[in-house]
Amino acid sequence: MLQVSGLSVSFRSEHGLVRAVDNVSFDVGEREILGVVGESGSGKTISLLSVMGLINDPNAVIEGSIVYKGRELLGLPQRELRHVRGKEIAMIFQDPMTALTPVYTIGWQIAEQVLTHNAVSRRAARARAIELLSAVGIPNPDVSVDRYPHQLSGGMRQRAVIAMALSCNPSLLIADEPTTALDVTVQAQILELIQKLRRDFGSAVVLITHDMGVVAEVADRVQVMYAGRIVERGAKRDLFKAPRHPYTWGLLDSIPPLDGPRPRRLKSIAGMPPSLLDLPTGCAFGPRCRYRFDKCDERPGLAGSGGHDSACFLSPDARAAAWSGRLLDNKAVS
Amino acid sequence: MNGAATAPLLEAVGLSKNFSIGGRLSPGGRKTVRAVDNVSLQVWPGETVGLVGESGCGKSTLGRCLVRLYDVTSGQLRFKGEDISQYGRRQLRPIREEMQMVFQDPYASLNPRRRVGDLIAEPLRVHGRRSRAEIAARVRELMGLVGLSTDQLERFPHEFSGGQRQRIGIARALALRPKVLVLDEPVSALDVSIRAGILNLLQDAQAARDLSYVFVSHDLSVVRHIATRVAVMYLGKIVEVAPVEQLFTAAAHPYTQALISAIPVPDPRKERSRRRVVVTGDVPSAVNPPTGCRFRTRCPKFATLSEDKAERCINEEPARLQQEVDHVAACHYAAAEEVV
Repeated sequence: MLQVSGLSVSFRSEHGLVRAVDNVSFDVGEREILGVVGESGSGKTISLLSVMGLINDPNAVIEGSIVYKGRELLGLPQRELRHVRGKEIAMIFQDPMTALTPVYTIGWQIAEQVLTHNAVSRRAARARAIELLSAVGIPNPDVSVDRYPHQLSGGMRQRAVIAMALSCNPSLLIADEPTTALDVTVQAQILELIQKLRRDFGSAVVLITHDMGVVAEVADRVQVMYAGRIVERGAKRDLFKAPRHPYTWGLLDSIPPLDGPRPRRLKSIAGMPPSLLDLPTGCAFGPRCRYRFDKCDERPGLAGSGGHDSACFLSPDARAAAWSGRLLDNKAVS
Repeated sequence: MNGAATAPLLEAVGLSKNFSIGGRLSPGGRKTVRAVDNVSLQVWPGETVGLVGESGCGKSTLGRCLVRLYDVTSGQLRFKGEDISQYGRRQLRPIREEMQMVFQDPYASLNPRRRVGDLIAEPLRVHGRRSRAEIAARVRELMGLVGLSTDQLERFPHEFSGGQRQRIGIARALALRPKVLVLDEPVSALDVSIRAGILNLLQDAQAARDLSYVFVSHDLSVVRHIATRVAVMYLGKIVEVAPVEQLFTAAAHPYTQALISAIPVPDPRKERSRRRVVVTGDVPSAVNPPTGCRFRTRCPKFATLSEDKAERCINEEPARLQQEVDHVAACHYAAAEEVV
């Protein structure tokens, strides 16, 4: 449904060209939930913002191709993009307060979007807003529709934003850290709602998050990003069962477990993510990697089998040894 | 818990903290929020108490009350047996050396116009009597302790990453060799791969001396890793206190069970087999909390109770009931359950 190929996003800055996204290709199928994981600066948000055509920084250089249902989105004039955006592809952001205007009721804001994309009466749009609010689980939707954003709690605001995103039955929803600002009990409710979307509306979802736990809960496929590149991707089950990239191992190891013995020390990834101004020539994770060898001075391509790819030069044997050695290690420290 | 200690280092007894909100001009007039309501908690030498709960539950307020960054509305706060709840600035001064705080946002808690060496030296200068050479030596020692290089002494905070800034914050807090450190969400603003390093640093610093931590966090997996005991807060009340293992294997309060079961686990296989304790809705307003048990409006257990049993939840505030040794839960119908 969505095919992104060779996407690169750079920003001209006073210190030179900053490569935020570097030759990234991925696709999203119908009714699929794709989890995009990475830390700050990994390019996960930027790559999806360019899908929405929402990067309007004059210093941005976007290359590659983004094809949605057979139509090239990159280079499409804003006027035409506007028909796609909101109607076909919708996006929700981390902070629901900045996504809503404080001076109108949430009902007005949802109705506005309905009116923009459909030829319906104001009354019908309002009825649709009430219907949507109830679909996302807001209690007393016919009263809440006249509420202002500040009168709602964080979880309710995020629901209102989701209701707005759903108003035109988009076939693709891009959710950027939709639960990061929320408490865990509310997060559980919103994640349940995202899964319900796929069930009831048949939408595909791209879920951007830094939380491996969230991905394990809702995604079908997972894509791990580091320094603007995809370092590993695969079906959720494969990726969590036998992750192939040392960065993915590091991410999983730095989350303290909820059951079993407590490790005496957590394994942390040495060093810091590289500056995007000064990326290593070879593997971007190389300088922090425990398994680094000579070959890592070259840049690894994404390769693998059965839809499970990783960008790492470790041979399957070396990888298996490192992975099982890691399990032994974990036993030893606990 | 330290076997040798016979008295808690820091103890809150019936501690409350109220804030007034609104004024003459706001609808409904002036209101009182009971951010922390009649809370009792002990911190023993050398232990780490995890303070968990959702936003607005009062965990940060309680943390700040414990080091007297906030004035206490009522109740007692005993430090080494001495009630310091009503002490003034001057009386608190010597005590402040022994109680320090680390804040959540390392971008906001460091003065951007001062150099790192200067920032770390500040507490040493304020609590004076040290020579310049002594201070310089201690600053170098602290830099090494928190894993920063001494040639970074002359740099400004903006030249450091989030994780490094949090290390600076920790160095400042440790400078005076305190007895208690209150850490308010110290790793929440950091990326996952950086978090582990800071947690290890905190554990090392604690092992080196008999330091107590109060670790305020909404992240239960982090708390499970670092805490010895955990107190769970909901709407200004502590609803459950238990040793960490006990809490994660036999949580007795329905709220604790819901909190634990809502954490996403990075393992799809486990994820499928877990039991979910689902709570609906949001935390009610602290201005006007529900009568009786404050959690009843969202409680999955309350919904299943017969009418006469439910009445008790509506009318009577639950007392802290002993479950096991050191394990109390404030629920009329508490029952241990494993939900991980």
